[in-house]
Amino acid sequence: MNKIYQNNITQNIQKYIPTILLFISVLNEFDFNNLGYIYFSFNFSYILIFYYSLKKSESLGYVYIFIAGLFNDVVVGTPIGISSLMYLILCGAAAYLRNITLRPSLIKDSIFFLITILIINSLLFMYLSFVFSYELNYFDQIINIIYTFLLYFLFANLFIFFEKKILGNRHAG
Amino acid sequence: METSRDDFIIAIRSAFLKKGTKQRFSILSLIFFSIILLILSSFNFKVIDYVKKTINEIVYRSSFIVSGPENFLKENYFTVNRHLKLYEENKKIVDELNSLKRKDLSQKITILENIKYKKLIDDYFIEDNQVVAKVLIDRQSPFLRSIIINKGSKNDIKLGMVVLDEGYLVGKIVEVNFFTSRVLLISDINSKIPVSLQPGDIQAIMSGKEQQEGVLQYVRDKNLPEINEKIQVVTSGAGGLFKSGIPIGTIAIDDEILANNKEDKIVDFHRNYSQLKYVRVVSFSKEKIILDPLSKSNTTILNLEIEEVNQQQETLRILLEQKKIADEIRVRIQKENNFLRNEHIRLKQESGFLKIERTRLKNEILIIKKNNQKNKIQDEEIEFLKKNLFFGHKCRKNIINNLYKVGTPEYRKCVLKKGLKK
Repeated sequence: MNKIYQNNITQNIQKYIPTILLFISVLNEFDFNNLGYIYFSFNFSYILIFYYSLKKSESLGYVYIFIAGLFNDVVVGTPIGISSLMYLILCGAAAYLRNITLRPSLIKDSIFFLITILIINSLLFMYLSFVFSYELNYFDQIINIIYTFLLYFLFANLFIFFEKKILGNRHAG
Repeated sequence: METSRDDFIIAIRSAFLKKGTKQRFSILSLIFFSIILLILSSFNFKVIDYVKKTINEIVYRSSFIVSGPENFLKENYFTVNRHLKLYEENKKIVDELNSLKRKDLSQKITILENIKYKKLIDDYFIEDNQVVAKVLIDRQSPFLRSIIINKGSKNDIKLGMVVLDEGYLVGKIVEVNFFTSRVLLISDINSKIPVSLQPGDIQAIMSGKEQQEGVLQYVRDKNLPEINEKIQVVTSGAGGLFKSGIPIGTIAIDDEILANNKEDKIVDFHRNYSQLKYVRVVSFSKEKIILDPLSKSNTTILNLEIEEVNQQQETLRILLEQKKIADEIRVRIQKENNFLRNEHIRLKQESGFLKIERTRLKNEILIIKKNNQKNKIQDEEIEFLKKNLFFGHKCRKNIINNLYKVGTPEYRKCVLKKGLKK
């Protein structure tokens, strides 16, 4: 009985690891979006949300993503609701890709991811610039998008490795 | 064509409307909810404001906890780093301390005089409220470089209060919650601060650029003064946002900047805004100048202090002047002393030489005297012999006369007198 209970706890922890990772990445001061380098920054949350919405949608609940977005807005200082909106659009895009894909491939996923982040960053930029009169740096945005796209390959492989080797999920990826 | 459009619609509908396994809401409903939140927050809806403040309080605290391990590692790293650089830093600090000590007194005078003159033009602000706060979250996003501090409206924090770190400007309060507040750093692109460049008193607006850099915009006088030192950037106090004279950073002027006369001048901040731990939140107000005994006595004390410091400065100046004169005299005396010493040595040498010369001359005179004497004797002898030839017979003793015997002094006298005469 005790063993079954322990297994349940482990399974639950394993199941919620992406959610925990998302909340840590949102709440932590260490922000990949701003590492202090001029030519290097990327959005880890985008990669995590897109990957898990695409491959394992049951791991990341939409409500959690929505709340993580709210938290991100509060921590970063952007208008409340904007990050949630962007995260959910990303989830929607991932869900759409999942529906239309018959044979999954990392290259196709990443290209779709690039298009999606280009769209959501443009939306974010327009909203912050025109509605809230924030001054944003185009160059930083482009650098961020490029590195987020490039690092998608690395993190996708890391997540596959994590799922296969640590969680023992043979169908991962 | 028709089929593919149907497929697209079906896929979109499925993605956005279907709840999916273990999902409680569809994406579309949550998107709508986000949009509503955004619209309401853009209109400053009160309910949203309360919701936001509640989330703020929860998130700031939880973010502080979540960032704990990372902050611990970061702090340890910086401690080790500082420890390794201790010796070099100590050397540097000792040098700096010595140079600063020298500057201290004149700076004191300048500050007191500055206060006096500011009071004269009614531009003197004093800190009327000061709160020391701890930095809870130091997450500088590309959109908004800001920090969260652990003091809020409960601790009398108000919007627009100035945030300082050891006297250097950090930013200002832009959001106040009950227990926490958000500080917009001056390194943020959205922060526009009226600044003044010293020396020259050039007015400009500074905006944030990088973590450690700001950029000057709208420089009124674009030609910066050609000085070797760095230009100091301080708040100008224009617009009444900040008190004037709060240090911000420096501008290094090199030949390239002067030659190109670039519009964007980069300001190097004095403080590193990624290393903030504790900050001081202050508000400034004008000192109440009421003619009450307390303010009067304060003014008198200030005047006395200025007087005292001025006297000290004057005494110091006189002492320095005296020292300078004494030094000059000492140098002159030393020079004269050297000259006299050399002269003395020279004269000594000369007197030795003269002594030798005198002895030589004495000897010569003696020789000449002897010679003269000899000559005189010889002359006398010659004269005697000459006269002897002529008058010898008149003095010589013979049978007939009874005169003088040859060779006797009487005979000699007789010959010299040219014969016997009575």
